[in-house]
Amino acid sequence: GDNRSSGRSSTELVAYKSVNDLPPPRGEMMIQVDQKNEAILLPIYGSMVPFHIATVKTITSQSDTNRNCYIRIIFNVPGTPFSPHDANSLKNQGAIYVKEVSFRSKDPRHVNEVVAQIKTLRRQVAARESERAERAT
Amino acid sequence: MADHLFNSISLGGRGGTKPGQMRINSGGILWKKQGGGKAVEVDKSNISVLFWMKVQRSTQLGVRSKDGLYYKFIGFRDTDVATLTTFFRSSFGITPEERQVSVSGHNWGEVDFNGNMLTFLDGSKQAFELSLTDVSQTQMQGKTDAILEFHLDDAAVANEKDTLMEISFHIPNSNTQFVGDENRP
Repeated sequence: GDNRSSGRSSTELVAYKSVNDLPPPRGEMMIQVDQKNEAILLPIYGSMVPFHIATVKTITSQSDTNRNCYIRIIFNVPGTPFSPHDANSLKNQGAIYVKEVSFRSKDPRHVNEVVAQIKTLRRQVAARESERAERAT
Repeated sequence: MADHLFNSISLGGRGGTKPGQMRINSGGILWKKQGGGKAVEVDKSNISVLFWMKVQRSTQLGVRSKDGLYYKFIGFRDTDVATLTTFFRSSFGITPEERQVSVSGHNWGEVDFNGNMLTFLDGSKQAFELSLTDVSQTQMQGKTDAILEFHLDDAAVANEKDTLMEISFHIPNSNTQFVGDENRP
């Protein structure tokens, strides 16, 4: 929605207002990308946990010799160069951050899809925010 | 004797959710995995805390036992919640607490430990929780990052396509909660 219009320094970063706004559950729990709400949902201990796309710094995938696939997501945390969370980190003095998560996946095709979707969504949101910032100056 | 039977209640935990059946009566609670296998039984006298949390499309019942174990059961309807709340009060002498889930999508918050559970909170709302009994290794990276690695073995059991293997927390120097404790984040 447009309540995120204050841009990247927004401290009102909100993916969902209510638990009922989350996308419907699937049979098998897996990482989901919600383009509309600009969020990713991660299966953590039997729950789908949303993270706003603006909290995501990088996503990578990798496979090992046993044909296991892994997805690694690194989040923005304060104190790293070019972190867009500086306004938040000032406001959230004393907060603890989720910095990185790693998932093992049973499905290589799904891994490639998720990585591509998240990268695209990140790019779109970043482009829109920088456009907005330019217009504001 | 009141006996409440629920035919589709899932046990949530590492690996996702397992479908099963739940029986709640004056003796306590009993959950059995669909098709046999795993069962969870908590005697009335061993229950320390109960709580309800609205989740996606249903309500979750959290059960903490006096010996420090914790279970979450997913799939209750609003009518079940009302009935069971009354039952827990009269039969167990316990009033379930109500918790709220955070869906804001923030990656910052607070970490709370209770028994073997780590809970990540956004304000007063719960973003997610993890069981430390599934953690195989913890590491500090530098002075500010704590890494938790999970066991590999049971990762393939349930209905999850993607399974959490590792999570790390960044604890800025401005955080005063865990100063001087390098064994825990």
